[in-house]
Amino acid sequence: MRIIVHKARCQGHARCSAQAPDVFRLDDEGYILPGDIEVGEGEQLLASRGARSCPERALELDRTPAARG
Amino acid sequence: MAVNPVPDHVPPEMVRDFSLFTSPGMAPTPNGDPHAAVACVHSGPPIFYSPCNTRDGRGTWVVTRATDQRRVLQDAETFSSHRSIFSSALGESWPMIPLELDPPAHGVFRSLLNPLLSPKRVVVLEPKVRERAITLIDRIAASGTSCDVMKDFAFPFTVSIFLRLLGLPDHRLDTFVGWAKDLLHGDDVKRPAAAQTIVAFIDELATKRRKEPADDFMTFIVQAQVERRRLTEEEVRGIGVLVFVAGLDTVAAAIGFGLAYLARNLKDQDLLRREPDRIVLAAEELLRAYPTVQIIRVATKDIDFEGAPIRKGDYVSCATMIANRDPAEFECPNTVDLAREDNRHAAFGYGPHRCLGSHLARREIVIGLEEWLARIPAFRIKKATAPITSGGHVFGIENLILDWS
Repeated sequence: MRIIVHKARCQGHARCSAQAPDVFRLDDEGYILPGDIEVGEGEQLLASRGARSCPERALELDRTPAARG
Repeated sequence: MAVNPVPDHVPPEMVRDFSLFTSPGMAPTPNGDPHAAVACVHSGPPIFYSPCNTRDGRGTWVVTRATDQRRVLQDAETFSSHRSIFSSALGESWPMIPLELDPPAHGVFRSLLNPLLSPKRVVVLEPKVRERAITLIDRIAASGTSCDVMKDFAFPFTVSIFLRLLGLPDHRLDTFVGWAKDLLHGDDVKRPAAAQTIVAFIDELATKRRKEPADDFMTFIVQAQVERRRLTEEEVRGIGVLVFVAGLDTVAAAIGFGLAYLARNLKDQDLLRREPDRIVLAAEELLRAYPTVQIIRVATKDIDFEGAPIRKGDYVSCATMIANRDPAEFECPNTVDLAREDNRHAAFGYGPHRCLGSHLARREIVIGLEEWLARIPAFRIKKATAPITSGGHVFGIENLILDWS
């Protein structure tokens, strides 16, 4: 699974990293680091919860076959 | 309260008799439930015009759906924050910073202040926060089986943390809380007087820290640089006043509303006490159900928004308590479900102005609930007492007398 990060939409709520701190890394101001995120097998549940907790809709789950790859 | 006439461009059929200030349940009410009282707007149109929906009696558009509020709050170009809500009480027009600045100036100050209240920084502050909560609650537990949670815990807890952050002494806590009450809930006489007092106090503190630096927030501000220059006196004041005002009232109210819910719902109270791991998630749900702030923007241009002919200069209200009860966003929005997931609530707003203090506020609420539940046995609202709640610009709870005898 891959998470598409719409960095420009991030407003630093940090709800994602509260759910899954190892998946969603923040900068010193508390905003998401740029770049899409490849999620490992064991982290999928927490990662999708984290993505779904973003109030700004800045994190998009990509479940296309290529992303599952 | 003076009521302005409805502007000509507002279609009469879009005007509704609703206001966060004057609708039923908004005045101070014993055993009131102002959040439930405003949730009734969801049976009506998604956007309407309220002729009297600010403290000074101005009309606003009211955006009810969470998705539409996101659109407004994420679009700072069309919907400006510059309202001088505080300084206008003094007949002045300087902005509270960063709250009342628009991008790009907003981002400059936001970047300056973000690290001071970031999630990482809050981890560093946490032990002191917890220590403060434990001290207060132990004192309450040792002195009897009843207390007024607002006066004895919620206010002293939240305000002292933030006073320490600002570098202010605890012994003036009651004075500061008094100023905040007059400012946020006072009448036309008390409000400007409190504003004057707070400005003078912040100016004086800034002067002091310029001469005698300390390890605190105000010293950081007077020494800080943006765009390779020191901040102006007005900018220092704008930041100082915002941090002072924002920290004084809202977190205490959130803890009060949360504990009032638990006092009335013993099953949930018992569950959280037995399984404290649930408190982090539960705190989000309590924030969803009982947020405290109405956010207002000013239209910078004419725009037709979801059928509403918004014109330049119109006020647009995004009340967090309305978005958080939107049935299109939340299943059974009027039911508190402490295990609710997918809880993208708006208690701290949406968009670039997302509450700067939200990470600290969250930790205070979680720690407050954890330590309270760990130390106080099953509690209820004391017989023959009634918490007084109110609506308005900032929703509040004045008193909450609990009993665990």
